[in-house]
Amino acid sequence: MAIHRHDNHKSANAVMEWVDKRFPATKVWNEHLAEYMAAKNFNFWYFFGSLAILMLVLQLATGIFLTMHYKPDAELAFASVEYIMRDVPFGWLVRYLHSTGASMFFVVVYLHMFRGVIYGSHREPRELVWLIGCVIFVALMAEAFMGYLLPWGNMSYWGAQVILSLFDVIPYVGPALTEWIRGDFVISDATLNRFFAFHVILLPLILVALVFLHLVALHQVGSNNPDGIEIYDHVDEDGKPLDGIAFFPYIVVKDLIGVAGFLIIYLGNVFFWPDGGGVLLEKDNFAPANSLQTPPDIVPLWYFTPFYSILRASTTSLLFALEIITGLIVLWLWIRAKVSIKAKIGFTLLAIGVFLGLLFGSGKAWGVILMAAAIVCFFLLPWLDRSPVYSIRYRSLPFKIALVLFLAAFFILGYLGMNSPTPGRTLLAQICTVAYFAFFALMPWFTSIGKTKPEPSRVVYEAH
Amino acid sequence: MKKLSLLVVALVSAAVIGSSAFAAGGHGAVVDQVHMNMSDKASLQNGAKIFVNYCLSCHSAQYSRYNRVAKDLDIPLWQLKENLMFTTEKEGDLMKTTMPAENAKAWFGVAPPDLSLVARVRSPDWIYTYLRAFYIDESSPSGWNNSLFENVAMPHAMYELQGVQKIVGKVDADSHGAIDAHASSDAVGDHKVVGDTIFELSHPGKLTPVEFDKSMTDLTTFLSYMAEPAQLQRKTIGVYTIAFLIILLILCILLKKEYWRDVH
Amino acid sequence: MADNNVSDVNADGMSVEDRKRRRFLTGMTAGFGAIGAGVAVVPFVMSMAPSERAKNAGAPVQFDFSKLQEGQMVKVEWRGKPVVLLQRTSEMMAGLEQIEGNLADAGSASSSQPVYAQNNKRSDAARPELLVMEGVCTHLGCSPVEKLALGPDPEMGDDSQGGFFCPCHGSKFDLAGRVYKNVPATTNMAIPPYRFEGLVIHIGDDEGRIT
Repeated sequence: MAIHRHDNHKSANAVMEWVDKRFPATKVWNEHLAEYMAAKNFNFWYFFGSLAILMLVLQLATGIFLTMHYKPDAELAFASVEYIMRDVPFGWLVRYLHSTGASMFFVVVYLHMFRGVIYGSHREPRELVWLIGCVIFVALMAEAFMGYLLPWGNMSYWGAQVILSLFDVIPYVGPALTEWIRGDFVISDATLNRFFAFHVILLPLILVALVFLHLVALHQVGSNNPDGIEIYDHVDEDGKPLDGIAFFPYIVVKDLIGVAGFLIIYLGNVFFWPDGGGVLLEKDNFAPANSLQTPPDIVPLWYFTPFYSILRASTTSLLFALEIITGLIVLWLWIRAKVSIKAKIGFTLLAIGVFLGLLFGSGKAWGVILMAAAIVCFFLLPWLDRSPVYSIRYRSLPFKIALVLFLAAFFILGYLGMNSPTPGRTLLAQICTVAYFAFFALMPWFTSIGKTKPEPSRVVYEAH
Repeated sequence: MKKLSLLVVALVSAAVIGSSAFAAGGHGAVVDQVHMNMSDKASLQNGAKIFVNYCLSCHSAQYSRYNRVAKDLDIPLWQLKENLMFTTEKEGDLMKTTMPAENAKAWFGVAPPDLSLVARVRSPDWIYTYLRAFYIDESSPSGWNNSLFENVAMPHAMYELQGVQKIVGKVDADSHGAIDAHASSDAVGDHKVVGDTIFELSHPGKLTPVEFDKSMTDLTTFLSYMAEPAQLQRKTIGVYTIAFLIILLILCILLKKEYWRDVH
Repeated sequence: MADNNVSDVNADGMSVEDRKRRRFLTGMTAGFGAIGAGVAVVPFVMSMAPSERAKNAGAPVQFDFSKLQEGQMVKVEWRGKPVVLLQRTSEMMAGLEQIEGNLADAGSASSSQPVYAQNNKRSDAARPELLVMEGVCTHLGCSPVEKLALGPDPEMGDDSQGGFFCPCHGSKFDLAGRVYKNVPATTNMAIPPYRFEGLVIHIGDDEGRIT
């Protein structure tokens, strides 16, 4: 018995040796799993990275099976989705997995990003990890937006109509560009067909490639941890971090808990609440696209609503408020800030430019610019954050207050974006828009003031 | 840190609950609540019978198949063929209307919408209220009107069941609950509240008001089933799936604890 | 590895008990995960099976054969396949017996047909002269050409009693769809389930009869 097993081992080793000479299988396994060191104090916030990969794989898998039955044709698309829901064996399950999966993907990605912000995972030396992640976020939004047109329901149709019209504001080429993107004078069969191509081929390829780059960049610099300190500062005689543990098996078995727990929430939603009370699948999307009848209120899916709210909040009064704020910042810069005269002049010129733009630009154009800026802000985070410590555990009070205010603004914007605007709601959205941008604009300031707690030299971990 | 996590959880749940509560509320039309029971096969069968007899002559259910309905509702095939289908149709055919769309448009001004998904576009409560809110109105082209859907092109298809009701007045928001008690009254001449409107039955139909409400509950139940036929199996499969995942979660927790004994 | 000849504590500080427990838990979780993954694959695999629409399109078809003349052949589509209906003459029936020596599976022992058509005529005893057959070659699925004339034929051979010739790879069948020896196909053409209701034939539906 013992000899037999030994023989098996030997022949397996021989096979691996043969492979390793031709392909770095063992090397990759060791570098990225068995010997990739992660801090032992990971908490539940660290589940969301692996869960995002899980969601990507699940969306690809369910998407492939949907593609087998779906027809990207304006005449047939809506009926083919109902065909999947009724006539295809288990088609309803595959479709719900995909539609609920899209929302779950965003839940996971938002929490993953938030984890980065609170533990300083975007800070030096992980800026590129963060930047690639931001590109993934943008690609994911494009993927979701195009996917939402495919059921060809009335909300699909009008949602695409509204969002594509944003390109109209680009000077001179806008309207022509919009027509080119649509391939028609309205959203039509041509638009559906090309969105299908982007949704099932182009963007999935880009996403997979970006995720690969995200991981390559991460493994170059190593994972951060909830204490936001460098585990390689304390290494043993072999050069292994004292506070590090091997990704495989330790982090993997831990992530399995996250996977099982997440699947309970995800599949619970799929089986018991697939339309999420009209949030995951909107009522108006169960009526076929009708170019003559707009739904009573067009709202995007929840993951776009914070940005959509910013778009809608952009009216003359918001621009007026922004002009005043720009002026105040310049004033403060000259009176109080301790920066060089060059920086002062540079920033003042920039502010004058923005001021003139706000004064003469239309609310519509600025809505689009602000919405885009709201996303671009995330890209700048590594350089806006000046705190001497990385983790929220040791951050100063001003940062914590600002973060909570930002979260409140983000959620309120998200809520408002799901509902029809009233004058009161628009005002609230404008206040939250200002708060949203203030968080990023003032970050260099509030991260450099206040008293931070001393960082420990080793990660905080108690074995249970 | 704990406090921050709690705050985040609280914010997320508040936003989700707040928005979904709003989405469920609809556009503020006053509707009656329907009490459906998806596992009541008799109710679903009765709803199917009413649907075929009273709706299918003008409306189609073009994504729904006869044999699927029969299978899900425990209707025997012979009964399906004899009572619910036209002789020329195959049992696996889609439930299309016999009325050509052009005729329908000529007669009603608009083509009657397909009803496969109506319960998902509207809501079961809306349908239940709408079906019971037809009243006589000489000024409308069809002679009928509907208090929930003003000037709807559709005539009262089921007046022979319900009888003829006329409008008495509107309920103001405060007294709605008080008058609701009359909803179960059976006597002709009594007032009945549907949605936000008070009706009086001027000519009785084949069914008493209580029987009619029950029939409309059955029809609404059937329409809800038809909007998503998979819902009958969906929850059953869901229970097994979640039970399995809970066991898997426990195993994963034990496994993690086991491996993490190494970590000091 | 026999556990009793190993000391209680291993090189990496794990006792035999620890090791056993760890192996057990790993096995349990992996096993459970594998079951879950296996079950999760089912709906995806099932979703590729014929849908309700395909099943309905493949539902039994009816055909009124009262006008079918002796020696006449029609093709009816069932499940997208041509089904041959051939009202054979008495000469044709007689010819079936003459060539039995040239056939690979004269008794249809290894071919596909309902029990009631597993005979030398390959037809229902109620109407033995009516051949109801899927016109699909059992070699690679082409549709053979009918050769209804008895006697020598350039493709069927000198001793032909009529039959079907597959233009793709030259397989030959007689007028009961039985395959000749020494051709690419090795089994007779399939007979679909069918039943009669007066002068109407239901193809694809025999209500489960065996006679």
